[in-house]
Amino acid sequence: MAGPEADSQFQFTGIKKYFNSYTLTGRMNCVLATYGGIALLVLYFKLRPKKTPAVKAS
Amino acid sequence: MNENLFTSFSTPTLMGLPIIIMIIAFPALLYPTSNRLISNRIRTLQQYLINLILKQMMAIHSPKGRTWSLMLMSLIIFIASTNLLGLLPHTFTPTTQLSINLGLAIPLWAGAVILGFRYKFKTSVSHFLPQGTPILLIPMLIIIETISLFIQPMALAVRLTANITAGHLLMHLIGAATLALFSISTSTALITFIILLLLTILEFAVALIQAYVFTLLVSLYLHDNT
Repeated sequence: MAGPEADSQFQFTGIKKYFNSYTLTGRMNCVLATYGGIALLVLYFKLRPKKTPAVKAS
Repeated sequence: MNENLFTSFSTPTLMGLPIIIMIIAFPALLYPTSNRLISNRIRTLQQYLINLILKQMMAIHSPKGRTWSLMLMSLIIFIASTNLLGLLPHTFTPTTQLSINLGLAIPLWAGAVILGFRYKFKTSVSHFLPQGTPILLIPMLIIIETISLFIQPMALAVRLTANITAGHLLMHLIGAATLALFSISTSTALITFIILLLLTILEFAVALIQAYVFTLLVSLYLHDNT
């Protein structure tokens, strides 16, 4: 593996500037975004209201 | 037979009192110490060997990583001497116990990881995504790398436990087989005995190699994080 890459050797524009798999910042943002996404998913499934089935009168 | 096989791995007690602390502390007694700068021949030899291992192991580290030199040297000497002493008959080997190996692996791994996150947050976090990953694979790879990070201390501990336990168990089994075969067929017993001798030589090597591998991996985790 090569040594620590300089962020300046890559020139990205737009969203790729912040989320890419080449620069240190890009990689960090991708990792944090993935963790954030997983946390949001977990939160959504925990907090969604549980549907209780209607009781049928016999 | 089954009970006999595993009793050598039970934590030792003397008249109902656990003596495992004494057994863990014992290898340290075998290494001579001195207050003098230049001491006797055996101390010189000991210092030479420790320096040899020290230079080889700490060469790749930054000055910050080298502050762990004492810790890593103590670790490799402890594991190597414990493993070698365990090859003597009727001895108890602490490194066959998962509890002891987890007690070594988890704090050292956690220390290295926490050090990395504390002082080099960006570099530590970006380790979870190898450079040049295709976009579609990014989330999956991050999850895989996270899992592999948390498996590291478990793998460290279980590797050492399994290797040493398996070696001791094999020696026990083949020794028992040699003894049992002696009255039945001497030639087969001789072949089994030769296998036992070769296995013992292998176990000597494994004892030293496992100590080296354990310490090297901890040093690698440290290098990643300093």
